[in-house]
Amino acid sequence: MKFPSLLRRRAVVALLLCLLLALGFAGLLAYLHSPSRGLPYRDSFAKGTAEEWKALGGTWELANGMMRNDSDERGAKLLSGSPYWHNYSIEADINLLGASGDAGLAIRSRNEEEGVNSYSGYYAGLRTRDNSLVLGRAEHGWMEVTKANPTPGGIRPFQWYHLKLLAYDCQIVAVVTAPSQAASTSIAINDQVCVQSGRIGLRSYSSGGIWRNVVVRSATRQDLTEMLRGAGPEGNPEPKSPVAEGPQGPSELPSAEQRKAIPRSNANTQNIENLLLSSFATPAVVTVRGVVVLTTPVLFVQDSTGGVSIPQPTAPPLKVGDEVEVTGEVHPGDFSSTMEHATVQMLWARTPVPPVSVTASQASTGRYAATFVEVQGRLAGKERGPGNTLILDLDEGPQSFRAIMNPGRGDYLFSKLKPDSSLRLRGICVVDSAFTKNLTPFVLLLRSNEDLEVLAGPPWWSTGHVIVLIVASLLLALIGVFLYHRVEHWRLRAILEERERLAHEMHDTLAQSFAGIGFQLQAIRNGLPDQASPLNQQLELASNLVRHSHEEARRSIATLRTEDMESEDILAALDRCARRMVEGGTVEVVAQREGDQRTIPLRIADTLYRIGQEAVANAVRHAHPSLLTIRLAYRGDSVCLLIEDDGDGFVQGSGLSGFGIRGMRRRAQSISAAFQLQSKPGGGTRIRVEATLPPRLTLASWPKLLWKYGKEHWIDGRSARHVHSHSYRG
Amino acid sequence: MADRRDTSIRILIVDDHPVVLAGLTSMLGTQAGMEVVGSASGGEEALEMLRTNAADVVLLDLRMPGMSGIDTLHALKRAKINARAIILTSFETDEDIYRAVQAGAQGYLLKDAPQSDMIEAIRAVHSGKRYFPRHIAARLAERMMRTDLTSRELEVLHMLARGLTNKEIGSALAISGNTVRNHVNSIMEKLEVSDRTEAATTAIHRGLIELSN
Repeated sequence: MKFPSLLRRRAVVALLLCLLLALGFAGLLAYLHSPSRGLPYRDSFAKGTAEEWKALGGTWELANGMMRNDSDERGAKLLSGSPYWHNYSIEADINLLGASGDAGLAIRSRNEEEGVNSYSGYYAGLRTRDNSLVLGRAEHGWMEVTKANPTPGGIRPFQWYHLKLLAYDCQIVAVVTAPSQAASTSIAINDQVCVQSGRIGLRSYSSGGIWRNVVVRSATRQDLTEMLRGAGPEGNPEPKSPVAEGPQGPSELPSAEQRKAIPRSNANTQNIENLLLSSFATPAVVTVRGVVVLTTPVLFVQDSTGGVSIPQPTAPPLKVGDEVEVTGEVHPGDFSSTMEHATVQMLWARTPVPPVSVTASQASTGRYAATFVEVQGRLAGKERGPGNTLILDLDEGPQSFRAIMNPGRGDYLFSKLKPDSSLRLRGICVVDSAFTKNLTPFVLLLRSNEDLEVLAGPPWWSTGHVIVLIVASLLLALIGVFLYHRVEHWRLRAILEERERLAHEMHDTLAQSFAGIGFQLQAIRNGLPDQASPLNQQLELASNLVRHSHEEARRSIATLRTEDMESEDILAALDRCARRMVEGGTVEVVAQREGDQRTIPLRIADTLYRIGQEAVANAVRHAHPSLLTIRLAYRGDSVCLLIEDDGDGFVQGSGLSGFGIRGMRRRAQSISAAFQLQSKPGGGTRIRVEATLPPRLTLASWPKLLWKYGKEHWIDGRSARHVHSHSYRG
Repeated sequence: MADRRDTSIRILIVDDHPVVLAGLTSMLGTQAGMEVVGSASGGEEALEMLRTNAADVVLLDLRMPGMSGIDTLHALKRAKINARAIILTSFETDEDIYRAVQAGAQGYLLKDAPQSDMIEAIRAVHSGKRYFPRHIAARLAERMMRTDLTSRELEVLHMLARGLTNKEIGSALAISGNTVRNHVNSIMEKLEVSDRTEAATTAIHRGLIELSN
């Protein structure tokens, strides 16, 4: 009962393993779906990392340890956290960058897509237009539920507010505090059928914003009541149809109130292009008007004729897309100018200018210096520059250039970039040697990592891949060869075992019967009184036939048992066989080999051996020779066996020898070998068998052989067998 | 009749094959001076018969199911039954001949030997001589000159011929791979061969091992 118990033990072990695996999987799933995994969360913007955040729209960038979105895009989102978070609060300090939109926090957000209100969840925002704190639900459409006007002061851009948003069961509470004032304003909603869980998000609408100190904590009922104590009238979301357009209104143009606030613009503005014509010697003070294209590290302003860099300006907080008026000293450069000691006046917010698509060669001429361009290139290398900036080395054709990214959210993308990828980059083309270090004709200053787009990964035939492929295919080939040899080995072993079984069978039946019948015939002959009668002669012939058959059967058995013909080769086997037959006699046996020995397929070797055995036996038994020569000659594609004796010889076609010869001839035919016999009385006997061999295995013959093997294998499985028996030794 | 019984040679034939038994009984029965006193199809039966019925010469087949010819010879010796045995077989490997002689066989004949040889052999053995045809004698002499393999070496040789590696043999016999290697080296030395394959081939040729069991 050793076997079943072993099996049972194995089954138990397998079952246990499965159970463990299932448990582990369930545990992992439970962990991943846990409503508080990763809580509490505190942002690491100050350390300059924000890999866990995912942007949908906007130009989210880390600057001075804060997350900043300069774009006026409506509904730009930055998301993080687990979609299984259920009861929790999120709080952050928020600073609006524009006067015509809102910015805030999203909670329990899911199914997010790029677009204005393309998510499911709750959002609390600070809105400048009507100085309010709004709270509502987005369901791929906006449902504003409640709003409150924080007093005093309302909501102003460029001022820090602390916003806290809490979700507990179906109650959502938002509280806003202006740091300068102790008073806080809060609003709450009780949603009947609420979004149960979701991620957190930073979101802005038309204004852009800065976020810092984002903290997410698990919330309890106590937290909720504490927050509700200060909350204003609780709103109930009415099942009104969602408004696709936000309540914020699509107003892009400055409102009447804002227009009043716009400072008067200088009538003597110049085209930026004209600044290049200014004198070097006496810096003139001029005024230009344009759109902000970059704020950090240097302010760049661009109009329809060109761009200008403005280091260290006196300026209000600006963001990309603002229409500004700059007054300052002009310092013309080779390709673009610089304005120093400049004062910047913000006129109004505008859509950011689109980039000009140029080639790297065009950009390197300087024609596009200080302007916002789009260039394609192949990534040649990447490195980290001073101040932890990320530097990309790129090529486009013969032209190489550099791109500089700010660290932070770009880190992750940067580490993912593979050399030889094809990239599309948008940024300010700078030819100033302060940035280029005279290494490349121009440098692109990227605004955010949304300005970098991977068009195509590196081609698969990189050196590493090719080496891996070669190694893998070599390994596969090795495994294939190994398996092939193993299988061949097993097959041959099975054949040998079958042959051995057959030999036993033949010995036990055929050979014994021949022996018995021989004895019986002898007994009949013994009983006959007249030794010379024809009956006696016939009986003698009969017993000779039986003895011959017995010998043949014994030889068949011996051949079947001949363990491996190839490993000791036919010549040695025949030599041994002949020596055994002439043992104690005076016959001299000579064995000779001609040509280079090579492997002979098992079937051919077998047949040659048996023909040789028969020939040797005939010679020894009947011809009384003094010399027996066995010669095996290897030619190019054939092998020739020659057995020669100097004995009596015989007249062909007479007597018993006819049987043996016919047998040899038949055997030779079975392997398509040429059989020749020469003998005359008194002149000895010479038997020659020439068999064609399959083509030798060389590198060139492999495909041909494989094809042939495949064909034979399908057409006739048996005949294919001998083709590959060379691996017999295995 | 009584006179004939006293002078004729009493023969017992032991062979598992009925055709051989019948043929031999007929053939030897017709010979003057010989009497087939019984035929047995196996070693046990032969022993049983010899206990009650004395025979002068036993013609013994080597390979029989159950008790083999050699086993029967040993059993005869143990039972102190005084009978002279001639091995009559279709096998002629060195080892068969050697073992038969060691077990006390007085003669060795192949089944395809002519009648005259057989008669001569029976007469010779009956008269107290030994009978070995020339080529059998030559092989016996050759075998005598070689050193015997130990039983452990035979075990190893058996597994080696089945294509097992040293490691596999070691784990099967619960000995280390190094010990197996030593055994293999010793086997190759005794068989006067140069590699494992040749050792296996030679062992099979000489009848040291059989693959089928």
